[in-house]
Amino acid sequence: MKKLMLMALVLLLAAGVMPLFARGGGEAARPDQITIAVVPKGLDNPVFLDTKSGAEAAGAELGVRIIWTGPVRADATEQVAVLEGLIQQGVDGILVSANDPTALNSVIQSATDAGIKVATFDSDAPESARLFYAGSDNYVLGETSAQLLVELAEGMRAPVDTAVLTGVLGAFNLEERIRGVRDTVAGTNVRIASVQAGEDDIDRSVQVIEDYTEANPGLDAWIFVGGWPFFAPPETLSALRRFRDRGGLVVSVDSFYPMLEFVEEGMADYLVGQNFFAMGDLGVRHLLRAINGETIAQEIIDTGLEIVNPDNVAEVKAAKDPW
Amino acid sequence: MTTGNTTLTGILTWYRRQAKSSTFGVALILLALCIVLALSTDRFLTQTNLFSVMRAFSFIAIIAIGECMVIISGGVDLSVGSIFGFSGLITAIALNRWSWSIPGGIALGMAVGTGFGMVNGTLITRLRIPPFIATLGMLSVVRGLAYAITSGYPVRTPSPYNVLGQGYLGPVPYPVIYMAALAVVFSVFLKKTVQGRRIYAIGGNEQASAISGIRVNRVKMLVYTLAGLLAGISGVISIARLGVAQSTAGLGWELDVVAAVIIGGASLSGGKGTILGAILGAAIMGVLRNGLVLLNVSPYWQQAVIGLVIIIAIAADQMRRGSDQ
Repeated sequence: MKKLMLMALVLLLAAGVMPLFARGGGEAARPDQITIAVVPKGLDNPVFLDTKSGAEAAGAELGVRIIWTGPVRADATEQVAVLEGLIQQGVDGILVSANDPTALNSVIQSATDAGIKVATFDSDAPESARLFYAGSDNYVLGETSAQLLVELAEGMRAPVDTAVLTGVLGAFNLEERIRGVRDTVAGTNVRIASVQAGEDDIDRSVQVIEDYTEANPGLDAWIFVGGWPFFAPPETLSALRRFRDRGGLVVSVDSFYPMLEFVEEGMADYLVGQNFFAMGDLGVRHLLRAINGETIAQEIIDTGLEIVNPDNVAEVKAAKDPW
Repeated sequence: MTTGNTTLTGILTWYRRQAKSSTFGVALILLALCIVLALSTDRFLTQTNLFSVMRAFSFIAIIAIGECMVIISGGVDLSVGSIFGFSGLITAIALNRWSWSIPGGIALGMAVGTGFGMVNGTLITRLRIPPFIATLGMLSVVRGLAYAITSGYPVRTPSPYNVLGQGYLGPVPYPVIYMAALAVVFSVFLKKTVQGRRIYAIGGNEQASAISGIRVNRVKMLVYTLAGLLAGISGVISIARLGVAQSTAGLGWELDVVAAVIIGGASLSGGKGTILGAILGAAIMGVLRNGLVLLNVSPYWQQAVIGLVIIIAIAADQMRRGSDQ
């Protein structure tokens, strides 16, 4: 009997705990207020926090309630579950960064059937029923980074041996960037000597760069197709520092606040960043127009690229919120 | 001639005595791996590279010391990767946001790790939840807390603190020294103290141990607490090495840590294993990772190669020991 009571108590406690963690969703919804859910690939990835700021700023200005939700970690299956939940909630619009270019097709179709306006940002699902994509073209991102490297390497003795750092292998956006890099350097004096993977992890990325740079004294350049190692402070990357001292070239994708220090300290020639704030801002604005019955003619809304070098780094830094 | 023979006989006798020890087998595997790498690339056997590899696996190795004791006791701790990440994170937050002193931050990180270890111990001994489930639950709870307190932002640590992870004593990186010191302390604890022997006893036969007067729950509480502490220590050092703490640090590490302990000769059914073995197990995986980068093996193949080499190595070791028995 005592045991039974105890069990009942534990169960009650468990049930009681859950609502405590239910989100208020910022401000309470007015019945007539339009709600747009913004869903990143994963809540653990800080790069999307600029998108959150952008979406919330646009939402505040336009009187739209913004829900920020998503899978804890980047995972397509979990993301589908989150989207199904949003369909049940009956939101008016969904702006989502797809974890997989095709895995979301059916859930996006269900949402559209339920009368929800769906668009993608950052990572597209081109064959789905989404209305538009707000973001930058990952192929162009790779192309631009490689173009900057080719300019830097002009006049250097061929081959300019270059290593590429990527994150998780097989990720569509990263593979697209690598494809952009490869196509651009073809026929120039730049040669891709190796592709190394840091598994989207700061620690692994730092270790790979340090090991590879140390092991290859003939290496001339690095292209990072994502800025993972630059989330650590410059002093951590001692082999890369020595690489720079002997004239090594470094071009990295991404231009988040902590990374700017590497340009200031002369550890990188160029950062090529995407505009995550604009993805949230423009995404919400266009979705609202669609919800209000307008037709969005543009299928791709290009949010542009930001190129940072020692000449403009101070200016760029002043415009960004510190992390 | 005679001297030569005596030496040879000596070596043979020594080999026969060692041959059945699993730690010896792991050492052989590591040696073989190093020889292969040294022959294939002249970049492997440099002082800088060797110490860099040792520093890279020292964090997993320190956690493996704690995991090893848990596994010897017949349990398993899946929450160590999360505890590692959270302890580092809380130290970074204390130093960066709350402007705590360095000793204060370190103490907090270690205390938090120990605290989570005690929660694991309590769940297992008082609520009688199987270790696999209890620590799997804690894996999720602690990782979730890490996401919750940071909302995903990485937290940088101050430069004076980073010396603890980035500095060198002569050519030896500090984390390697911490690893060695902790390994010695816990080897002695495990082999030479009564408490240490009790860990083997309860892992070998829990009921017999209980009947012979060992307070089994107390020993279990101790091993999970120590595992939490060691994961905490590793987390606190690793953020100094990296200069930044991230909410995803140590994600999935529990598998590497358990693998290191098992490669090192421990048995998942308990009662067997050594700290040295666990360290060597971590070293094998660290050396493999490093070797694949040095040899410029395509990263698309690296995962598969690591798994394959480990399976082949352990199979070879089993055959070697089997033929001697």
